Amino acid sequence: MSARRFDRVLIANRGEIALRIQRACRALGLETVAVHSEADAESRHVRQADIALCIGPAPAARSYLDAESLLLAARATGASAIHPGYGFLSENAAFADAVEDGGLTFIGPTGASIRMMGDKITAKRAMRDAGVPCVPGSDGPLPPEMDAIHAMAAQVGFPVIVKASGGGGGRGMRVVWNADELEQAVTLTAKEAQQAFGNPTLYLERFMQKPRHIEIQVLCDTHGTALWLGARDCSLQRRHQKVLEEAPAPGISPDIIADIGERCAQACRRIGYRGAGTFEFLYEDGIFAFIEMNTRVQVEHPITEATTGIDIVAAQLQIAQGEKLAIRQQDIATLGHAIECRINAEDPRTFMPSPGRITSWDLPGGPGIRIDTHVTAGYTVQPYYDSLIGKVIAHGATRQQAIARLRVALAEMQVQGVSTNIPLHQDILADPHFQQGGVDIHYLERWLAERATP
Amino acid sequence: MTGKPPLLPDLSTLPDVAEIAQITTWLAEAGLASMDLSNAAGARLRLTVAPSPVTPPPAAPAPAETITATAPYFGHLALRHPLRAEPFAPLGATVRKGDTIALLTLDTLQVPVTAPADGIVAEILGQEGALVGYGAAILSIRP
Repeated sequence: MSARRFDRVLIANRGEIALRIQRACRALGLETVAVHSEADAESRHVRQADIALCIGPAPAARSYLDAESLLLAARATGASAIHPGYGFLSENAAFADAVEDGGLTFIGPTGASIRMMGDKITAKRAMRDAGVPCVPGSDGPLPPEMDAIHAMAAQVGFPVIVKASGGGGGRGMRVVWNADELEQAVTLTAKEAQQAFGNPTLYLERFMQKPRHIEIQVLCDTHGTALWLGARDCSLQRRHQKVLEEAPAPGISPDIIADIGERCAQACRRIGYRGAGTFEFLYEDGIFAFIEMNTRVQVEHPITEATTGIDIVAAQLQIAQGEKLAIRQQDIATLGHAIECRINAEDPRTFMPSPGRITSWDLPGGPGIRIDTHVTAGYTVQPYYDSLIGKVIAHGATRQQAIARLRVALAEMQVQGVSTNIPLHQDILADPHFQQGGVDIHYLERWLAERATP
Repeated sequence: MTGKPPLLPDLSTLPDVAEIAQITTWLAEAGLASMDLSNAAGARLRLTVAPSPVTPPPAAPAPAETITATAPYFGHLALRHPLRAEPFAPLGATVRKGDTIALLTLDTLQVPVTAPADGIVAEILGQEGALVGYGAAILSIRP
């Protein structure tokens, strides 16, 4: 057996994901260093870490986002690898480079991969070149001839959206519902673009009205193996924040997912991607449109772990050790259905954060229920960070069974001292449209707006 | 005498339950804690009003006798300068606010720990050479 690259991992994060990483490290016989802010001194993973070190005050800029302190802390504690978790510095290319330049292992992709995916235009171009579907469109400036524009729009399919190349922030764009409106829309938008941005150049894309958010989990080692681990549907969002996620995506045939999954894996091989990653797509009428790639582990990774049986965080650690992935694509199945509810300390109606001391914390259990949380009774939810206090994940043989188990679990869960969004999740799970499956990314906000008006 | 009912019942007999209730209400309204009633026959009634649910703020804690100097960063604690035999601030030494009382070392980095107040070093709380975190107690000073 060859020597390991690292035996001690510094966890550069907090909350539930820090605990999740600590568990994976322990399962692989790795020691952990919990670096934390003053506000997190009593956190569960800090108390249980092999080495705990307070590196700064509560504000993240002076603790979890302080790259220099994290590197110094790794050196001081003898950690030779850093796991960034999600958020904070996890998608900071300069940090990934600094870790590796310092002779440590960054548990994630290379700085170059993070940089490529961090720039949306570069990422889209690279993905299109690699065969990952992007939103159908003109792929460049519109030609001057109206006939050519008509042909392009017909090929893309209506409705289309005409956008100014120099525009942004919702300005300089127009939705065109059919061919009759095209010429006028192009003329007007070009004129406005000239006036507003001094540049009349336009491009055109398919307009997705009610898309779903579908994402593909990938796992790549450093020996040329890239695997896709199925799809997740994260359409239930509020202000671009995911609320509830499920795997697989209801109503999309496994063949279609297999095709898109293989394209994602192929793109990873092509760009030499390493570690865990997620390709995010908008999906409508059978069309997948690449939005972005997340170059880290995601909050919702447990639902894929439930349906594939693969420990994604442990795999990240093994890949970073330089090990070969032991699984083959043909061995990866989608077993049953899994749903995750993100439990936040917030008012279930106003969504105002609800920091404070959790006086009572009774967790559910039973078949198919998994809870990822750093919270214990007596824990104080800090106002400095996001309000995620845990995740309840239900796995069942069918979607119906997963929903039923989740409803029982949420009813069993009792939290006192802070408000939580558990009632919101209960309402969502009871909603007939949700139960039917396949709602779009605007559904939750529409539903919330409707129930707010009596 | 006017025709008004008496404020307090005739104390030749002890008040009945309804009267007691009325008296306690008056006591609470007046902010009184208790009262004693007694009559010539030696019967005695003591009424005590339960403390109001809004407890008064606890008395401010006595001013701390010592002030603790804490680590402004993390690092290995050096209570003496590497090139000197004497500690920066040994027990009983007089320090002035802002004096360096210890160093935190990390690689080539040295971060001074300074005295938060003038006074006498009362207790050494940090351990020489230990890796201490941000905010760790290093020593206490009696002003």
